[in-house]
Amino acid sequence: MDFAFTDEQLAFREQVLKFSQNEIAPLSEEYDEKGEFCWEAWKKMGEFGLLGLHFPEEYGGAEADVVTSCMAAEALAEGGADGGLTLSWGAHTYLCADTVFVHGTPEQKEKYVSKLASGEWVGCMALTEPNAGSDAASVATTAVKKGDRYVLNGSKMFITNGPIADVCVVYASTDKEKRHMGISAFIVEKDYKGFGVSKTLKKMGVKTSTTAELFFDDCEVPEENVLGEIGNGFPMALQTLEWDRSALLAPFVGGMEFVLKECSRYAKEREQFGRPIAQFQAIQQKLADIKAFVEAARLLVYKVAWSKDQGKALNHMEAAVAKLFVGDWGMPAISEAVQLHGGYGYMHEYPVERVFRDTKLAQIGGGTSEIQRMIISRLLLA
Amino acid sequence: MDYSLNDEQLALQESFRKFCDNEIKPNADKLDKADHAEADKIMKQNFKKLAEFGYTGMCHEEKYGGSGKDLVTQCVAQEELARVCAATFLSVGGSLGLCGLPIAHFGTDAQKKKYLPKLISTDIIGSFGLTEPGAGSDAIGIKTTAEKKDDRYILNGSKTFISNGPIADIAVVMAVTGKPDEKGRNVSSFIVEKGMKGFSAGKHLDKMGYRGAPTSELFFDDCEVPTENLLGVENEGFIQAMKTLEYGRIGMATVALGIAVACMEESIKYAKERQQFGRPIGKFQMVGFKLSDMKVLTDVSRLLIYKAAWLKDTNSPEASTMASIAKLTASEASTQISSWAVQVHGGYGYMTEYPVERLYRDAKLGEIGEGTSEIQRLLIARDVLAKY
Repeated sequence: MDFAFTDEQLAFREQVLKFSQNEIAPLSEEYDEKGEFCWEAWKKMGEFGLLGLHFPEEYGGAEADVVTSCMAAEALAEGGADGGLTLSWGAHTYLCADTVFVHGTPEQKEKYVSKLASGEWVGCMALTEPNAGSDAASVATTAVKKGDRYVLNGSKMFITNGPIADVCVVYASTDKEKRHMGISAFIVEKDYKGFGVSKTLKKMGVKTSTTAELFFDDCEVPEENVLGEIGNGFPMALQTLEWDRSALLAPFVGGMEFVLKECSRYAKEREQFGRPIAQFQAIQQKLADIKAFVEAARLLVYKVAWSKDQGKALNHMEAAVAKLFVGDWGMPAISEAVQLHGGYGYMHEYPVERVFRDTKLAQIGGGTSEIQRMIISRLLLA
Repeated sequence: MDYSLNDEQLALQESFRKFCDNEIKPNADKLDKADHAEADKIMKQNFKKLAEFGYTGMCHEEKYGGSGKDLVTQCVAQEELARVCAATFLSVGGSLGLCGLPIAHFGTDAQKKKYLPKLISTDIIGSFGLTEPGAGSDAIGIKTTAEKKDDRYILNGSKTFISNGPIADIAVVMAVTGKPDEKGRNVSSFIVEKGMKGFSAGKHLDKMGYRGAPTSELFFDDCEVPTENLLGVENEGFIQAMKTLEYGRIGMATVALGIAVACMEESIKYAKERQQFGRPIGKFQMVGFKLSDMKVLTDVSRLLIYKAAWLKDTNSPEASTMASIAKLTASEASTQISSWAVQVHGGYGYMTEYPVERLYRDAKLGEIGEGTSEIQRLLIARDVLAKY
């Protein structure tokens, strides 16, 4: 048992934290208010090397391990980056680019991975549909082979980075009868014929990460853009959970650490009844509970990351436990943080208001809390 | 970074689990329901069995008959014992941990040689006397006094809620030796032996849970303790007690975890067997999802305990706060989980025949013993406010 990070990891974490505090956090409030993607922050992240961190150097990456990748995501959030930016990063780097990197042909990797790793192109992943959410295997979008291309028809819903993506990994059914084992993955570029994007969907939180519905209307995808094997799409989508339950959860940990700092500072500054509210036990109770949440969530998330670094296959129990805890125990924690701030916490000006809205997504995105409980209880009762 | 247990820990976990299932678990229910005399007899047998296995020496050095395991390894074993019998865990922990550790950490060579081997062999049983009728969370407010007279100290006062009080041969006792001090720098620790003049234990206190673990008051009525039984340095007793309680906190977290794991295991078993509306009740989401939340909270508790233990093993300054976080989280998880476990069992869960009824009662102590949840929150918040 050893919970220590290496000196190198800690030094890098510190760099990302400073970078976030100085370059990214000052942009968070404005873009959250506008509900716009922040290209300035994105470009800076690309230049810093965050968008392709774990890829080999030949693709412009730093070959970071998963733990380090999580530390970067955690530190960016701890520095004050909003949950939208970290979500866009996660969907882009891990759910899109990494899937191409892991399952792509040399030509596909050559064409897409470097440009995604630098941030020149933006990537997205499209699995969810208007009528296929928790029941992800029931995708209705079809892909039919015609000559040297596949013709896609259907639509995808709640697609992170949809409005700005250049490249999209799309999951579509190539064999309805085989249900989830008849799903295949395709790399779709934004200007392919028959590919359309809705206007940006308006959301409660993670607003700087833009979301859209994608339309496939006899969309023509060249055969060489099949990603991986035909019929192997569902396992590939499941494989992205390794990242979804580590690098995409880490920002929620960092975000709550950021919130804890905000709460502590506010509690010491804010005076009521002639003394700083930090001296009241009801306030101390909230600080203690938020702190306990952060420490526990961090341990769960890094356990998933560490397992992936060990080359172990995803432990679905551990992954579901981490996801469920971050969401369902995170929400009460952030609610306490808003409460601690009183009326100010309800105001947009204070970052806890934003984090409250952002955190709600942790219970819904990437598999709802209910789905996590289904997975856990099934495994327990097996 | 390494989230795995090493081979030695895994082997210990397996062999000790088997031992606990075979040797301790069969008596757990009896221990809970027996009268005090019978319970004390069973408890002493459990002490002997655990000594034979080597459990009682894990937290002590080899030269005194222990095996000097690191704290993570101890926690691995502790969870297994707690899982089958929280009362036995508490009693043994009271003797080897709360009594044995301060002797090991602050005692003279002579004191260590005199007491530790016998505590480890369980030839004698120890207890720890800090809490008083008027001094619980506010431990600095203890009123028991120790006045030096020639070659002895004269103790006067009383202690309460003392684990092992009725069966203990020795007690590490905190008493006031100096002028009033808001930081407790007026308290000293003493090793008091049964049979010392003026020392007596009260009758067994009846408790909600942990009924097999004997508890009583201790009375000091001009009790004479030789000066060589002063533990460490005069007026450092409060710090000694707080350092001991850091281990106690991790121990209390671990027993809470063991109870929670037992509740989860019982609930899973029951949810698979029990049929209603034509199918196992585990298939209903309102039951199955309770099991899921039990799993989440036991996993979280265990990780926090290991982290706290590891920080302690590596002498980190963060160990103390993490121990509080682990204790707070694990104990509140444990009461919550035990409540769900009774609920999953329905009417059967309310019957004493089913173990979850006992586990539900046992769980509650986690939020009270070794520093209440309220005290843990104060400590954690103090750390947050100092750091941020």
